[in-house]
Amino acid sequence: MSEFTRELDRREFLKLLLGLGVALAGGEWVRRNFVAHDDPAGEAAHSEVSPGGPYWAMVIDLQTCIGCERCAYACQATNDTASGHLWNIILRDEKTFDKPVYLPRPCMHCEHAPCVEVCPVNATYHREDGLVAMDYDRCIGCRYCMVACPYGVRVFNWEKNEDPNPQVPTWGVTEVTRRPRGVVEKCTFCAHRLDAAKERGLTPGYDPAATPACCVICPTEARRFGDLRDPNSPASRAIRGRQAIVLRSELGTNPRVFYLLPL
Amino acid sequence: MNFVRQNLFWIWVGFLGIVILVGLYATFLILTQGLVVTNLTDGSPWGLWIVLDLSCIGLSAGAFSLSAMTYLIGREQYQPLARIAVFIGILGYSGALMALALDIGRPDRFWHGWVYWNVHSMLWEVTMCITLYFSVLVLEVFPMVAELPFLAKYKWLHNLAHRVHRFAPVLAIIGLCLSLLHQSSLGGTYGVVIGRAFLFRATMPLLFIVSAVAAGMSFTIHMTLIVQWLGNRTLVPKAILLEVGQIAGLVLLVYLYMRFWDTTAGNYGYVPGKTEAFTDLSEGPFAVTFWAWEIVLGGVVAGFLLIRAYFRQNLTMLFIGCGLVLAGLVANRWHTTLLAFTQPLSENPPLTSPLVSEYTPAWTEWATTFAVLSILTLAFSLGMRYLPAFKGIEPHPLPPEVLPFPTSELKSPSSIG
Repeated sequence: MSEFTRELDRREFLKLLLGLGVALAGGEWVRRNFVAHDDPAGEAAHSEVSPGGPYWAMVIDLQTCIGCERCAYACQATNDTASGHLWNIILRDEKTFDKPVYLPRPCMHCEHAPCVEVCPVNATYHREDGLVAMDYDRCIGCRYCMVACPYGVRVFNWEKNEDPNPQVPTWGVTEVTRRPRGVVEKCTFCAHRLDAAKERGLTPGYDPAATPACCVICPTEARRFGDLRDPNSPASRAIRGRQAIVLRSELGTNPRVFYLLPL
Repeated sequence: MNFVRQNLFWIWVGFLGIVILVGLYATFLILTQGLVVTNLTDGSPWGLWIVLDLSCIGLSAGAFSLSAMTYLIGREQYQPLARIAVFIGILGYSGALMALALDIGRPDRFWHGWVYWNVHSMLWEVTMCITLYFSVLVLEVFPMVAELPFLAKYKWLHNLAHRVHRFAPVLAIIGLCLSLLHQSSLGGTYGVVIGRAFLFRATMPLLFIVSAVAAGMSFTIHMTLIVQWLGNRTLVPKAILLEVGQIAGLVLLVYLYMRFWDTTAGNYGYVPGKTEAFTDLSEGPFAVTFWAWEIVLGGVVAGFLLIRAYFRQNLTMLFIGCGLVLAGLVANRWHTTLLAFTQPLSENPPLTSPLVSEYTPAWTEWATTFAVLSILTLAFSLGMRYLPAFKGIEPHPLPPEVLPFPTSELKSPSSIG
């Protein structure tokens, strides 16, 4: 058997190393020239907090939220999500405070998002403005992001959603296309509205057409949206002078959803 | 009765075929209707298939560890066992790839991992390593397949196989590197999940690879003994089986030692989600299988038997010990995966999350899992029956030019396997 261990001489070994090196270099060349350019996560991944631009945030007042669930209906109508797999759900907590509070839970759009770190194919990534977005054409449906999300905000398309949307037209109209079967999806902060706002010169937070549907529909103005770097945005004004928390702050994810404690 | 005895092998093949057909029907349902036909939910997105994947890869670890011992440390007497381990390895990795293909929602995009890189993702690392290591295993198994008698007329194939085999040490190095990466990063896949305190442990990669080495070697010995007994032939000398079994036993004890400190020192204080998980494991719904399978039988008793078998020169004891180790590994992967999703995602304020989920696999998941296992068993049975490499020990290993063997000789020695 020693023939197997001895016959590889130095020349062959060097040739092999050279071959491996050339293969690696070639692979990297292909990646740089053909893959990296259309990589939405590439450059944007390094600007989680969008240093120059707006700091989009949602501020949810636990004092005024009455748990009417209209935000959930509006979200389902606008984003055309499947029943039972909502992007925006309302939790009820009876233990923490003196009175029961309702806690609406959208995607936190974390600065250090565990889902972005673990996605094997960069299908979920930070946009240039720092929001966590999904590339549905790239997602392979491995659901590692669902395992990783500390807030359980992600839902999977277990089947093709062919049901009529129960919230349309009562609570809104559909603004985005349905996702295909087999990919993960989650709340986008109605990024399509933010993007349209930029083109039309609207201000997210003020103009309903440029503000997430859940914030627009809220009858008690418990949900406010805006740029925290703008002191006059609805979000900044709502949070001023109040005690605000983020969920699971011990994880260091830096969510963009702030909860105002009940007074 | 005589008919049954003579055709035991084909009855076995027929049985496996039925299981595979049922699994194919379930696969058809999954591909046409989506993963809705499983019991996986948004709350527990990973289940039985991930356990199958982790177990297949863990039990295939014998391939890299025995190859490394044979070709790198120079224990050439292990070569017959290493060949079996490599053959088990390629089957195990095929099984893992099948499990993953079933599990991902878009199997048509399986290639995305190679094109769209996220180098921070443990799962990306696993994808790359598994596919690269699978190619290494293909190269390692290729010479064994090229020995098949009916391929003997293709001289070029023979020459190619001989050339490839000369690179065995190089393949062993590459295999060792890739395996050290992905066997650990499979544990890392769980270990980096910061949101689930039970999983978020830096020890996960170490625990995964050490347990995989012990279980991989044990599994190889286990299957070798089954083939030897059913086929009434000797594939690997008894002394080597016992020696490798002892090494596996020692590795298992190292694992138990690490596990002990991971559990004791790692559980101080109250950590929401983690403390509850360990309570579930040691006293709750998982307690019986945890203590019986994972710790007592699959750990302490198995380690004792493996080491004891060496001193007693007892193959039965070795066989039982090896079986317990691999049962222990499967139990460990099962507990780790299932526990992860039955714990509430602790939130601050501590709300009762609706995402705590119960999970029992659906029939589709069981059917496909057994189908994958049957495909692997079928391939293993056929390989053991027909591949010249597993014909049995000759006084001296035959040089390749003596081949081919007459086909009739290959079929004769066994009634099964």
